[in-house]
Amino acid sequence: MNNFGEVIMIVGLAAVGLSSVGYGMLCRRADNSLARNVARLSFVGFATLVTIASMLLMHFILNHDFLYSYVARYSSRDLSLAYLFSSFWAGQEGSFLLWVLLGAWLGVLLIFKSGDREPQVMLIYNLNNIFLMILLIKQSPFRMLAMAPPEGQGLNMLLQDPWMVIHPPVVFLGYAAFTIPFAYAMCGLWRREYDGWIKPALPWTVFSFITLGAGIIIGGYWSYKVLGWGGYWGWDPVENASLLPWLAGMALMHGMILQRTRKILRRTNFVLAAFSFLLIIYCTFLTRSGVLADFSVHSFVDLGITGWLVIFMFVFVALFLALFTARIKDMSPSAQSKTMSYFSREFGLVLAMVLLCLSTVVTGLGTSAPLITRVLEKASKVSNEFYVNTNLPLALLMLLLLTLVPLMTWGKNSPAKLAAKLTWGAVGAVLSGMITLLSGYPDMGEPLLSLGVFLLALLAGGAVGMNLFLAIKLIRKKVTVGSAAIAHLGVALMFVGIVSSSAYDRSEKVLLPQGSVKSAFAYDIDFKGPKMSRDGKGVRLHIPLEVKKQDTQFTALPDIYSERARDGQVKRFVHPHIRRGLLADLYISPVDFDPGKEKAAGTDMVLRKGKKMRFHDYDFTFTGFDVSRMMGKQQGTHDMTVGANIQASYKGEAPVMLKPVIAMGQLHTPASRVKLPGPEEAYLTLVKIDAGAKTIGLVYDGPEFQEEKDTEDSLPSVIAEVSIKPGMTVLWLGTLLILIGGCMAIPRRWGK
Amino acid sequence: MKKSYIIGGAIIILAMVMAMYSFQSTLTPYVTVREAKASKGSVQVAGIPVKDTAKYDLTTKNLIFTLREDGGDEMVVEYDGPRPGNFDEVTKVVAIGMYQPEKDIFSARELLVKCPTKYEGRVKGE
Repeated sequence: MNNFGEVIMIVGLAAVGLSSVGYGMLCRRADNSLARNVARLSFVGFATLVTIASMLLMHFILNHDFLYSYVARYSSRDLSLAYLFSSFWAGQEGSFLLWVLLGAWLGVLLIFKSGDREPQVMLIYNLNNIFLMILLIKQSPFRMLAMAPPEGQGLNMLLQDPWMVIHPPVVFLGYAAFTIPFAYAMCGLWRREYDGWIKPALPWTVFSFITLGAGIIIGGYWSYKVLGWGGYWGWDPVENASLLPWLAGMALMHGMILQRTRKILRRTNFVLAAFSFLLIIYCTFLTRSGVLADFSVHSFVDLGITGWLVIFMFVFVALFLALFTARIKDMSPSAQSKTMSYFSREFGLVLAMVLLCLSTVVTGLGTSAPLITRVLEKASKVSNEFYVNTNLPLALLMLLLLTLVPLMTWGKNSPAKLAAKLTWGAVGAVLSGMITLLSGYPDMGEPLLSLGVFLLALLAGGAVGMNLFLAIKLIRKKVTVGSAAIAHLGVALMFVGIVSSSAYDRSEKVLLPQGSVKSAFAYDIDFKGPKMSRDGKGVRLHIPLEVKKQDTQFTALPDIYSERARDGQVKRFVHPHIRRGLLADLYISPVDFDPGKEKAAGTDMVLRKGKKMRFHDYDFTFTGFDVSRMMGKQQGTHDMTVGANIQASYKGEAPVMLKPVIAMGQLHTPASRVKLPGPEEAYLTLVKIDAGAKTIGLVYDGPEFQEEKDTEDSLPSVIAEVSIKPGMTVLWLGTLLILIGGCMAIPRRWGK
Repeated sequence: MKKSYIIGGAIIILAMVMAMYSFQSTLTPYVTVREAKASKGSVQVAGIPVKDTAKYDLTTKNLIFTLREDGGDEMVVEYDGPRPGNFDEVTKVVAIGMYQPEKDIFSARELLVKCPTKYEGRVKGE
């Protein structure tokens, strides 16, 4: 039997289906007012039902109704209100529901905005909603358990961050919105309005670009702030899954602007609209179906939707190709494109689009590597060098275009005139080159890569100079016309940040025993000793560090959080401390914490079969278990003793065979000690065996060694990674400007 | 327009050739411990960390642990980074990196950790 939530989803699917039937009828006869009313009302009904379903799930989460499997898996009683909210989208099912919910709301807006294109646009838009609803019925967030557990498993600690509350809604808003340009494109093909669809679809494209972009940036920022690995982008399939449609969408956005102003790229824009939308489905397939489960940090579990995702992809590809090929003859390329000059703004923009598409294709190729190689041989992924090596030359060309193209006018330009306007770009490039050389020519391991990074710094500097100049000039005229210049300035600044933070990132691991001052990068760091606090379900180990450099002094507070989850696993989360600076961030991330030794004697050691191990003055080689003893039973008991053969030598003298034994079973016979060779009164006790791993654990018992009395060893100590990350502030400023530029473009595009 | 097609085509072909070359050379195949020890390039090896072997080397400050694969073969892995969150109780770890014969150690530049139960980690917008 289905529960209330599942019934609502099924009715919701019926409603959006009915809406599609209505829109289908409207496509045939536009004046069918009954069909129009049915289509609109049932869409509103669908949106209402999805909203109710979401409220229902939220209600269950807020009331800790752990009878619902989803609630039990992703929330718990101790979560604060904000994190209870984010439990909603912490898992696969809930995030699909969020996607549908945001899509439904956007759809209501779309009905108002789409005018006489409504039937076709909404028909395609609904198709996507139908598919998502099917997925949600297949993997329902309302699945119930036979019995409610007393407490839920809680929300992953890493997701308990304010940025992670807003990140998924923003990303899914972008995902939902990318359907809209595609719907308009299909409508344009259907109605043979090859240019007409651009105008109403452009603001939606810009909107999708901003939302998905904001989602990506928030994700990167969170990764830098929370994960403690010191980076913001790892080319993980999940990250790439947002990046790919975003890059393709960026190409589409430029193409649409070109078509509006210059009447070119008719066919290209149809293809790009389909490409960016299909990438959303393809990336959903990649990350949600479990095909990359062995290749991603994220364990994606196949919840039985792989087949459906493949079907959806094929349906959309087939629909688009059928309609596109049917219309391609009819769709003459516009006259303008034949006379395009190579030295014009339009040609520059086309090149930029080509570069963006190439970047999408190579990044997509890398992300799909496990799928591609699976067919040929063993499934393999590509290392991150692949993404860097392929995208770097594209980025170089992109930055060159970013400097030159904004200066060009539509139509033919004269190179001489252009060169005269390049002053600020040249200033930027020279300045950036000088700063780079003063900080040291980049050393990336390979000469070609280092050269590439150096050129990237030069060109990014040039692009910053040029676009800063243009942005100021344009904003003075009229604020909104500066939107593109601001966004481009943002891209250039972002690259400055990327170069400086990746090529000039310096990092050092320091061992910080409590009470003694160590230095790293001219900072004196003093570990004041650990403080524990109970926090939620786990323990937070605070690691206060007094950091001093000349006249600045502050306390860094990184911490390590450990919790025991419901299933008994202990999870550790490392939180870095970031001291932001205009030029560089100081990033301190705890790597490991050693509570110190309470007793210096009784050192444990683990020997592996066949491996020689040095232990102070001794060398040990564990050669194997003593089989003869293994079978032997002590009389009258069920105890069994196991022996181990160890070759021991003292200070390189001839080895002696030691045979310590361990008794296993009910009786606790004292384990026998064996004396070590050499003059010392030293013994070895076998305390642990692991036949599977072929390892044994031994306790040493004898004179203490000099270094063990060292105070450092018995005090708590921390290994921390201290890094200087230049340009992070510039990077975040750049990404912010991209979004601001985009936001400024929306009213401008919507108004026209 | 002909010329621009040629320029565009040349860029695309050049980029694709470079991409394919880089694709080939950066592939990190899944291999066994034995194959990893014989290989010279970057590979990935899956296994479980042997209990109680994970520790930090105080001179290099790197994480050292013994990885055992399904067949029982083992190798010592060194990783320059923080111990993954739930490292002591993971069901599977994938070490990506290169084997260094002179030290008889596998230098991992990346560790992928799998938890036994669920969809874990960052839930980003896929």
